[in-house]
Amino acid sequence: MRPEFISLIPLLPLGGALINILFGGRLSRRVSTGLAVVSVALAAFMVVAFWSYAAGGGTRVELYTWIEASGLRVPLVLLFDSLSASMALMVTGVSTLIHIYCLGYMSREKDYVRFFVLLNLFVFAMLVIVLAGDLLVLFLGWEGVGFCSYALIGFWYREGRNADAGQKAFVMTRAADVFLLIAMLWLFRIFGTFSIPDIMARTELIPAAAATPLVLLLLAGACGKSAQFPFMSWLPDAMAGPTPVSALIHAATMVTAGVYLLCRLFPLVMLSAQGMAAIALVGILTAGYAALCALAQDEIKRVLAYSTMSQVGYMFVALGAGTLSGAMFHLYTHAFFKSLLFLGAGCIVLLGGENNIFRMDRAARRNPLVFGTFLVGSLALAGAPLTSGFFSKDGILTTVFSRGSGLYELVWVLGSLTAFVTALYTFRLLYLVFGGKEKTRGEIPTLSFSMAVVLPFLAVAALFGGVINLPAIFGGNETLRHFLEGPDVIQGFVAHREEIILTALAVAVFAIGWLAAYGLFRRESALRDNMASRFFRSGFYIDQLLETLFQRPFRTLARFWDRATERQLFDGFFSGLGNMTFGGAKIVRRMQTGRLSTYLGSFAWGLLFLASFFLCCALGG
Amino acid sequence: MNELTFYPLLSLLIAIPLGGAFLCVLSRRSSGLCRWLALLSSGAVLVLAGSLFRLPDQTGWLLREDYAWIDTLGARFTLGLDGVSLLMVLLTALLIVMAVLVSWRTISEKTALYFSLLLALEAGLMGVFLALDLFLFYICWEIMLIPAVILIVVWGEEGSLPAVFKFIFFTIGGSLLMLLSIISLYYLHGEQTGVFSFSLEALRLTKLSGSLELWIYLGFLLAFAVKIPLVPLHIWLPDTYCKAPTAITLLLSGVLAKTGIYGLYRFAFQLCPEAAAKSFAWLSIVALVTVFYAAWTAFGQSDIKRLLAYSSVSHLGFIVFGLSVSNRTAMEGSFLQMFSHGITMGAFFALTAMIEERIGDTRMERLGGLWGRAPLWSFFFLVVALSSLGLPGLNNFVGEILILAGAFQSLPWLGAVAVPSILLAALYILRLVRHVLWGVSPAGLIWTDVGRREIFILVPFLILMVWVGCWPQTFLDPLQQVAGLPFFEGAVALKGGVLP
Repeated sequence: MRPEFISLIPLLPLGGALINILFGGRLSRRVSTGLAVVSVALAAFMVVAFWSYAAGGGTRVELYTWIEASGLRVPLVLLFDSLSASMALMVTGVSTLIHIYCLGYMSREKDYVRFFVLLNLFVFAMLVIVLAGDLLVLFLGWEGVGFCSYALIGFWYREGRNADAGQKAFVMTRAADVFLLIAMLWLFRIFGTFSIPDIMARTELIPAAAATPLVLLLLAGACGKSAQFPFMSWLPDAMAGPTPVSALIHAATMVTAGVYLLCRLFPLVMLSAQGMAAIALVGILTAGYAALCALAQDEIKRVLAYSTMSQVGYMFVALGAGTLSGAMFHLYTHAFFKSLLFLGAGCIVLLGGENNIFRMDRAARRNPLVFGTFLVGSLALAGAPLTSGFFSKDGILTTVFSRGSGLYELVWVLGSLTAFVTALYTFRLLYLVFGGKEKTRGEIPTLSFSMAVVLPFLAVAALFGGVINLPAIFGGNETLRHFLEGPDVIQGFVAHREEIILTALAVAVFAIGWLAAYGLFRRESALRDNMASRFFRSGFYIDQLLETLFQRPFRTLARFWDRATERQLFDGFFSGLGNMTFGGAKIVRRMQTGRLSTYLGSFAWGLLFLASFFLCCALGG
Repeated sequence: MNELTFYPLLSLLIAIPLGGAFLCVLSRRSSGLCRWLALLSSGAVLVLAGSLFRLPDQTGWLLREDYAWIDTLGARFTLGLDGVSLLMVLLTALLIVMAVLVSWRTISEKTALYFSLLLALEAGLMGVFLALDLFLFYICWEIMLIPAVILIVVWGEEGSLPAVFKFIFFTIGGSLLMLLSIISLYYLHGEQTGVFSFSLEALRLTKLSGSLELWIYLGFLLAFAVKIPLVPLHIWLPDTYCKAPTAITLLLSGVLAKTGIYGLYRFAFQLCPEAAAKSFAWLSIVALVTVFYAAWTAFGQSDIKRLLAYSSVSHLGFIVFGLSVSNRTAMEGSFLQMFSHGITMGAFFALTAMIEERIGDTRMERLGGLWGRAPLWSFFFLVVALSSLGLPGLNNFVGEILILAGAFQSLPWLGAVAVPSILLAALYILRLVRHVLWGVSPAGLIWTDVGRREIFILVPFLILMVWVGCWPQTFLDPLQQVAGLPFFEGAVALKGGVLP
């Protein structure tokens, strides 16, 4: 196959979306939704088919010149290498499963065409981010996923709350995009191009003083999409969208775009030690913060949202510690177990009739499939030994530990504490959702086939996903790391014995977390309502803080500009001029015939007179 | 450079609308005939303008025409088309057709007069964008004003007179200053060379002392800054935009504002390059103030037309910013953005006209939840909104990124300061979308989705937005050789200017 056909990977979902935009209303439901699913599944197939092109340095495909002006040329170029190929495989794979799930989940929705169009558009934009070989092309996808996220969070737009949540997500990520755009413009100023491979090949051109600010700007941009401090508070609200959307966009793919961006530009990131320390710090602070918040949430989806934020924080920690493959490994395992948890949560809410974990019916525990798969996902999230999440999280903490210096030691301690809190909130969720008394609620709805069928696939991935990067002490050979970082990476950050101790410690943290949760949350109403839990539940009152610091002053000033400067100052000045001439106007009142034609006529004559006056002057001179 | 083409195509661009206007007046008995006459003649101009699409030669000119006119004054009928004026001519031709279609049903009184004035306005606009003789330019500049004023007064909302008075006051004030500058240049040039001429290419060789050049430049600058407008010369704008019939608002924002920017580049910069280069430092700051102030004020509006008026000012400020950062990339971005902005604002006001046609009002509180009522209309509205907030893949992004990249190239700090404007645009646009499309409709809102005529208006806008967003080369290529730019760069570099 010609390498140009790599472009089909993003174009297939786009085509699906376009066909549904144009003809979706006229096609039957089966055809229209089927088209959406098949286009994504085909894209997944294409990634596999082109897998060999990712070997070596990868393949660059230039489609056409997007923008060309003097001094600037932006080709629409795709880069299919080990990083983008593996990410594209995850994105298309998870997307396909979630699309299938949606067939059942949205089966009663009348507006399904809009839903599947947006979902397909999202996959397209996400694949553009992944495959982009040029920063501006990446930005195209970056903003595209932002829009799709906005539209899908507010999918049920009649509810004002949903539309507001979508708007909040768009605005907060856009605020972060300002920094990303400045970083991109700066890189363009240095290199004269937006091309990612060209920039990464010549990072030595970056002045030493510019490296840290550049990394910090990129970090801020990444924090917006990835819901990291201080741009994180949109993510819990984003749960207003349909649950599969949360699974796809706000767990598996889009929120990891920030991590992916930093991985894509990793040679640049590595130039600045301070920048990497900042990345690790932002990551660990967000991870700890979000884990504490997850502890006190009373809606199942909000627990998962905060847990996503927390886990993405771990990915940032990995990047800050200098391990690209560690970040990507956790990104993949997290994508598996978190989308599994969200899809499971969709089923649980459907069966339990309620999003609130205290009020919902515990009917889900009678469905072994939902219970079993949700349990698998939870274990992986909590870092139960031998699940995928265990290997990826432990790998990150081991790398951080190996860095040794003071800051990283602190990060390691906080990371281990957060791992404990993670186990705690995960088991709290499990106990509250599946334990306790069952309230009888009449008839329990049945799950459709397409919803049930995808759960086992994701469960297998969540359980055994660790094999893609099994560390040596478990008999693996770190396949993913060699695939991403090449064959000759530095081996062994830590001594063998230390590694065994660290692993044992991770097992112990998991066990203590479980035991603590067993003691605390077996019974309902524990940690329900006191000041601390209110503080955690509200996300440390960050929203209120933002409202006071930014939103209210912004709105007040907007009104001030409109009322005071526009209407009072400027208009007042003008009517003052008018009043001054009013006296003179009395004299010429007789000329005011009230007929427009008179005014316009004299206006034209006056103009002519003035013009000829000046002309005469000029000629006379 | 072809001094005289076989067919006087450029003159036809002015003559066809004038002829159409004349025919409209003749057939004033039948308003239906007038509509079709207006549509036909404006459509013919659009076809003609489209057929002029080609790449420029070394000098940057696509076409030129030159006829003797008023020999005693030394004024000639000189027209020229380069990449920039090509885009402006195309935009004018397109938006006039759209304005005719938008007013198809809403104008029922004095139809003949309305459409003939609309066509007269088109003739004036074409003259402004094509004239290379300052006398001709000034005449067209003023001619353009008269139909606009009458259109606003007669067909505008009630109480439009104070707004129009402001409009006239500011515009005439600016024009007179420009007239002074033109006369002085004419006189000085005549004195220096013995040849009295209004030709742009002759006058720009006039030797001027520093302070005199500055005064002449200021005369031009003020006239154009009022028209664009730059803060604080925008006082006339919100009321005028709100009171004017929406089809005219469409033209005011889509095309008339561009005459200011076009004039700035074509005349003010070319005639006084040194003063222009000196002014860039503060012109770019004024432009940025305009961008942020207008965007922020737009956020506080409760009327769609008013919000769009401020949004338009904000985006226009950004275009002026691109012209004043002394960078070629940013300049090309600005030229493209002049076209893009016309498309987006044209579509926005066309959509607003449809609101007005249905509920006779454009206050946001009267609307809401329209996605459920009129999905097709809402779809167009959403796309135009996304284009306006600069979503990549749609038209505005391309110009914006060129301007930002160029600005950052020459003046990194100023470029960085300009970037948050993308956030402000998102804030007020999303607020607009939230109020119009999402939520629930207020009780008693009756709304029918778009009809065939309206789809016919909106689809070309949509196509152009995607076209410019995904294949901007069609429109950027004619800008690679822009007439006068080498001269401007040369003059500035010669005098120790700041262009890189």
